[in-house]
Amino acid sequence: MSETKIETTVHGMMAEFTTVDSLLSACRRIRDAGYTKTDAYTPFPVHGIDKALGIKPTALPWICLIAGATGTCIALVMQIWMNSIDYKYIISGKPYISLPAFIPVAFELTILLASFGAFFGMWALNGLPKFSNPMFTDPRFDRATDDRFFLYVDASDERYDANGVRNLLADTGSDYINEVVEDDSPKEVPKPVFLIWGLAVAASLVPLICILTMRVTNSSKPRFHVFFDMDFSPAKDAQQVTSLFADNRSMRSDVPGTVARGQMEESLDMLTGIDVEALTMSDPPRVQRLVRAYMLADDEAKAEEKEAVEAAEAAPASVMDTTPWVEKNPLTVDAELLAQGQQQFAIYCSVCHGMDGYGNGLVNQRAQSINAPTWVPPASMHQETLYADKYPDGKLFSTISNGIRKMPGYAGQIKLKDRWAIVAYVRALQKSQNASMDLVPESEKAAVEAAVADAKAELKRQAEEAEKAAAARKQTQS
Amino acid sequence: MSLAIPNGLDNTVERPGERAPLVLGETTYHDITEAVCKVAERPPSKGWIGGFLVAFALLQMLGLLIVYLIYTGVGVWGNRAPIFWGWPIVNFVFWVGIGHAGTLISAILFLFRQEWRTSINRAAEAMTIFAVACAGTFPGIHVGRAWLAFWLAPYPSLNLWMWPQFRSPLLWDVFAVSTYGTVSLLFWYMGMVPDLATFRDRSKNKYRRMAYGILCLGWSGSSRHWMRYEKAYAILAALAAPLVLSVHTIVSFDFAVSQVPGWHTTIFPPYFVAGAIFSGFAMVLTLMVPARKMLNLEKLITIRHLENMCKIILATGSIVGLAYGTEFFIAWYGQVPAEQFAFLNRAFGPYAWAYWTMVSCNVISPQIFWFKKARTTPWIIVVVSIFVNIGMWFERFVIVISSLSRDYLPSAWAYFTPTWVDWGMLIGSFGLFFTLFLLFCRTLPVINMAEVKATLAKQEHMAHLHGHGEEAAEGH
Repeated sequence: MSETKIETTVHGMMAEFTTVDSLLSACRRIRDAGYTKTDAYTPFPVHGIDKALGIKPTALPWICLIAGATGTCIALVMQIWMNSIDYKYIISGKPYISLPAFIPVAFELTILLASFGAFFGMWALNGLPKFSNPMFTDPRFDRATDDRFFLYVDASDERYDANGVRNLLADTGSDYINEVVEDDSPKEVPKPVFLIWGLAVAASLVPLICILTMRVTNSSKPRFHVFFDMDFSPAKDAQQVTSLFADNRSMRSDVPGTVARGQMEESLDMLTGIDVEALTMSDPPRVQRLVRAYMLADDEAKAEEKEAVEAAEAAPASVMDTTPWVEKNPLTVDAELLAQGQQQFAIYCSVCHGMDGYGNGLVNQRAQSINAPTWVPPASMHQETLYADKYPDGKLFSTISNGIRKMPGYAGQIKLKDRWAIVAYVRALQKSQNASMDLVPESEKAAVEAAVADAKAELKRQAEEAEKAAAARKQTQS
Repeated sequence: MSLAIPNGLDNTVERPGERAPLVLGETTYHDITEAVCKVAERPPSKGWIGGFLVAFALLQMLGLLIVYLIYTGVGVWGNRAPIFWGWPIVNFVFWVGIGHAGTLISAILFLFRQEWRTSINRAAEAMTIFAVACAGTFPGIHVGRAWLAFWLAPYPSLNLWMWPQFRSPLLWDVFAVSTYGTVSLLFWYMGMVPDLATFRDRSKNKYRRMAYGILCLGWSGSSRHWMRYEKAYAILAALAAPLVLSVHTIVSFDFAVSQVPGWHTTIFPPYFVAGAIFSGFAMVLTLMVPARKMLNLEKLITIRHLENMCKIILATGSIVGLAYGTEFFIAWYGQVPAEQFAFLNRAFGPYAWAYWTMVSCNVISPQIFWFKKARTTPWIIVVVSIFVNIGMWFERFVIVISSLSRDYLPSAWAYFTPTWVDWGMLIGSFGLFFTLFLLFCRTLPVINMAEVKATLAKQEHMAHLHGHGEEAAEGH
């Protein structure tokens, strides 16, 4: 054995008792002698000991109350925000904030948080978990959780005096009194605990390492499919045949009454291109039909409206178009919107109408070259009848959406705002063909002139090159 | 020392003006410690090992069946149109109901100062938690795509772009059952801490001592700690009492808020809560009567404890019987044809066999407890409690299956047939329950030693007062 001297600290004095009554009377003696830093250690809660030792009541109920109230608030705010504000659920026509339906969850969360308050609050107030306690150094103290009762006087008490306390405790009838000391020798955790701990940590890292390795390495083997029919769903592609429906088409149209997300967000003016307020004066039944067709997704009304639009188109030019069309594009026309319109025009319109809008797109060229008998040539955007004063923005929008003559409606393919962007772009396209410098603001004039000069020079250069090439070709041919 | 009941000592006799003893024999505090700790300290008996092996094998079967279910799909169950709820929901409601007795004994009987609860509350709470674990399994796998069960939680999802629907009783149920499981666990663990400290202080083995030392959070038995601990315990009891009533109420909303005939009734919440207490106590008795014998705890879990529980079985069983009658009365009195048909169909339709099994087990069999002889004879108690367990399972079967199989649309009627997977999962859930319970018996204090010691101290104090006719000396 080593001879190292172990430094010890005196924490206090403990006395052992065998019955509750002897402990209680000893507690009262100690309290009456003026000691305040005292405590009793018992295997079960002893009734009346708080009085005998002068222990103050705890603040725990208040912690619980606050925690419980927090639970109620969190639950109500969470439910109202999630179901009534952020994502509105319409359930059986009930109001969005229907408090009675929110009571059960509010009740449960109140109980849950109040219970957390009681549970964690109690351990926090008790200063637990705390695994080291000077009392534990005395082997006899093991019986404090079995059948013995201990009274303890702390050395930091003002009146503490080892002999005095010892005599007082002996006087109360205790048969075992001992000074509570804690040796300052280091407490060692057994080595195998570290070993097990280390192994557990290492083992817990294995799955993570596996995942990380798999994410950075390649494998020549095909992926393992846990749920084969989920990875390779038997769903049909757009143009495939199916036996599920009588018409053998796998492509289905929307269920009647379907309203797509975002569809209801815009005004009726924007959805139809018609000035609905003005239409209310002239043709109230049509307004009703528009509301049914566009706001309530009523397919019958949609069909009626389509018929009416087609009939108006088929009417001779002498019949005045009485529809109060929207005069001005409802979107803010700026460079961004024009770029958007240009892109959409290039995708959807230019194949027939041509990139320049003269109505000579690739489809038209092909149709002309094979003399397709039913082909109706696409209109040029640059005829005066299509200018904004004769053909308002709303009407142009309606034509894009519903179609005209052989042209189908594009409402199903092009998004609402994109259709309005195309309207804006077509106006710009019309202007581009006979624009004067007066339309350009002073600040931009120089830049535009420079750009025009550049473009002209470029055209000239291209023309010269083409001429040269033609001349060269002629020479080689001859 | 032997803990057999001394001959002639019967604590079921009522003596006017005197409390019957709840701890029998010349028992000391140390005897209580010994009796309870020995259960976990002595080497496992052959019976325990055998029981554990069987239970563990059944648990493995449940695990394999769940893997099979998830891999193949919910078609392996007997759930077919129109009975989509099927056995998984029957089992869920059955197990949640079982899980009501523990917290009821701990919380409500604590608030009513029923001291006989002290010997049985620990095991009953453990049973509660294990039953809730069994219950939680079934809705989790019943959602079909079990790996997406976390969609039930209100978290900001980037895939769904939406929140759970808080007006749905099914979501209330998620909150109720998970809150109940959590609070029961806290309550159980907190109650166990002082006893875990006893386990720690008795441990000879260094590692065992360290493990229990960590589990008991360094409990020392300080009076200051006890004072806050008792306050926290009382608060938790006060919180858990309405909670335990709310849980089965909300489970009953799963049914009552719907429009299905036979479900859409306002009697469901009280009827379900009474049934839950009924089935929970039955399960406690089924477990405790053999356990007190095998674990030598007859001095602590006395015949009086069993008798009290039998009285509760009798009371709640009669309430359940009254509810069955009331349902029929309201169906007639309400004059709704679909409701009237639903109840006649229950009693005389294709599921009449299940209905009358339920009535005989739940209403008729507990009536034997009107006789004191039956309440104090362990084997009768076990038999009746098993009948009640069977009856309560059938009650949920009748409610779920008979209502769904024949609702408003006769062309969609069907007869439910369970598959072998349904059977396997029901049996496997008992494997889960008993595996956990047997492990609990071997590793944790099965009886609340601290509370029993406090009851003993009070009992001795009262005896002392009676013996000497002195006034209580309560100090200043």
